[in-house]
Amino acid sequence: MSQPTFEAVNLTKRYEDGVLALDHVSFEVHPGQIYAMLGANGAGKTTTINIFLNFLEPTEGEARINGVCTHTDPLAAKAQIAYVSENVMLYPAFTAMQNLEYFTRLGGRDHHTKDEYHRVLERVGLQREAHDKRLRGFSKGMRQKCGLAIAILKDAPAIVLDEPTSGLDPQAGYEFTQLLTALRDEGKAILMSTHDIFRAREIASTVGILNRGRLVMQRSAAELGGADLEQLYLEHIAGHAA
Amino acid sequence: MLRLLIIKEIRDIVGSTKFAVTFGVCSLLVLLVFIVGARAYHTAVGQHDAAKRENLRRMEGITDWMQVHDMNVYMPPQPLSALVAGVAHDIGRTVTVEGRGELTAHDSRYSDEPMLAVFRQFDLEFLFTVVLSLFAILFAFDAVSGEKERGTLRLTFASPVPRRTFIAGKLLGAYLTLVVSLLLPIAAGSALLIVMGVPMTGDDWVRLTLIIAAGFLYLGVFLSLSVLVSAMTTRSTTSFLVLLVVWIVAVLIVPRAAVLFAGRAVDVPSVDAVAAQKAKFSAGLWGDDRSAMAAFKPSKSGDMQAVMQEFQQMMQKLADDRDRKMREFASRVNEERRNRQDVQEAVAFGLARITPAACFTLAATRLAGTSFEMKQHFLAATERYQKAFGEFMVAKTGMNPGGRMVVLRVVVGDEKKPEPINTAEIPAFSYAPMQVADVAGGTALDILLLLAVNLFFIVGAVAAFLRYDVR
Ligand SMILES: Nc1ncnc2c1ncn2[C@@H]1O[C@H](COP(=O)(O)OP(=O)(O)OP(=O)(O)O)[C@@H](O)[C@H]1O
Ligand SMILES: [Mg+2]
Repeated sequence: MSQPTFEAVNLTKRYEDGVLALDHVSFEVHPGQIYAMLGANGAGKTTTINIFLNFLEPTEGEARINGVCTHTDPLAAKAQIAYVSENVMLYPAFTAMQNLEYFTRLGGRDHHTKDEYHRVLERVGLQREAHDKRLRGFSKGMRQKCGLAIAILKDAPAIVLDEPTSGLDPQAGYEFTQLLTALRDEGKAILMSTHDIFRAREIASTVGILNRGRLVMQRSAAELGGADLEQLYLEHIAGHAA
Repeated sequence: MLRLLIIKEIRDIVGSTKFAVTFGVCSLLVLLVFIVGARAYHTAVGQHDAAKRENLRRMEGITDWMQVHDMNVYMPPQPLSALVAGVAHDIGRTVTVEGRGELTAHDSRYSDEPMLAVFRQFDLEFLFTVVLSLFAILFAFDAVSGEKERGTLRLTFASPVPRRTFIAGKLLGAYLTLVVSLLLPIAAGSALLIVMGVPMTGDDWVRLTLIIAAGFLYLGVFLSLSVLVSAMTTRSTTSFLVLLVVWIVAVLIVPRAAVLFAGRAVDVPSVDAVAAQKAKFSAGLWGDDRSAMAAFKPSKSGDMQAVMQEFQQMMQKLADDRDRKMREFASRVNEERRNRQDVQEAVAFGLARITPAACFTLAATRLAGTSFEMKQHFLAATERYQKAFGEFMVAKTGMNPGGRMVVLRVVVGDEKKPEPINTAEIPAFSYAPMQVADVAGGTALDILLLLAVNLFFIVGAVAAFLRYDVR
């Protein structure tokens, strides 16, 4: 099989205050796959993502993007990863276009034309009138769309998203997941954390359940078959909580 | 990448309301400083000319040089001291020259118009030290902590941005914005100086440029300190509070405390004590001379004219001797006091220099010629003048008027009608303000210190940010 785009190897994180947030977590995400991380609040999803972005250093193990270790060669790793946060925060005094241009160029891509920026913003569903408006007045949904546009323009093989659809209305959430599947079909490897079991079931190639820092279940879509994911989730969380 | 970051930083700052307000206020204040300075200069020139006229008017109608006892000289106004007042308003502008004896400066601007002294001057030095340094803090106190609060730091560092480059972009972006947005009103203000007819010489312009350059170095200190503090805190309100405390201590407390401390630590005899010492010595000399006068015996009696002449010659000699001895004594006690004062000043300014605010003030006033040395410089010029004046009077009357002696003249009836004296013959007082060449050396230490502190904070900001939690 091809080299995994995302690779977590025995990823362990113990915070300074002693909290063990991740406990030997290993998984892989290959090009054209979506990996959905499920887990209760505080299970360690954001911690995992933070290690992939080198915002945190793992206590043990390592995270790799296309074989590049995130904490020994962070710049090379970050050049290959695009990120959409739970709550995309952009410069409020800049317009959508300015934000898009800035972050895209920061990601190392400065050959895009204005037209391309407009096209991508339209692709993620941001109305043309909003393109040249300052971010100050944008709703959460509009900001998430801008965030995704930035990720798309970075054109990185790896895309990591932290609860990208939380707080979006059903229509916006639907459109967002449609875009993710389109990106998957373009060959991107996508790692996302979510609390939305149904959507995870719908689009994920693989589902992983984290509980108190441990990967307690991991199944591919095929393995899941017709199983009730919600039931499985509750069992795994409850089983370990007991 | 760095360019992108700098441009973004500039646009981010310039686009904020904070900037619009500070830029507006700063521009207004800068322009105001130049206008106030230009007007103050013209007022001072007016006062100066009037004083000079008055002084000569005193001598109107005098027909005999013997009746000229003294001459007042006045410090001519300097364009730069209107912009950086330093001690210019505190020291006396007038010196009464009698031909010999010690000189003191009196009639300072503040003693003539005490109202002005209450809130001190509103000049370029005040603007930079107090107002613009605060604005520099406003520019950058949330450089890093603000981005963390806004949440933009996460997305930024999801990109392959080296931390050094990011912080360099912050520093350079903020600094460029600050410098350019201040240079505009400063350039306009400088143009106003010309429009308002302030006669700035080439040397004045060079010194003004150096003062402004030192000012930017000083603002750079607060800017890089702000970035440093913002890279050590996670909330912009915390950064601001920390910076405000540092600012109060550095700008308002330390310089004053250093001077107070030096005043306590190093004893300098008071002016009164020195004056008493001199008076005592002088009284002794007078006593001696009085006995000499009493013992006067004309070498040949009879010829009244010859006796008078001999008596006058003796008196002149006594006065000259007394003056010489007095001068020697005075210069000794003055020098002792001066030495103590030098030590005191060295302690005061050495201590004060731990804050960049003092470095800037010292550099700016020295460049403007209004530092604490201004008084010495002025008095030295009047000493030289006193010598010229004394020589002139000797040439005119045969004696130096500074002796405070009773002049007896025997008027012989057949003299022609006396002509009024021509006051234009009196040598003119000239005061050469310090030139760049004189002051540049003395400011080198302060400039170097400012540079060093800048560098220190810049390195500190980079080091702090390398460890910053960008989550
Ligand atoms: N900076 C930190 N210092 C100490 N402990 C932390 C820190 N950040 C997170 N933790 C702890 O690590 C654990 C995992 O947190 P994490 O944010 O990864 O959870 P999560 O799965 O993203 O939760 P959520 O669904 O609420 O976003 C939690 O117990 C949390 O309290
Ligand atoms: Mg989370």
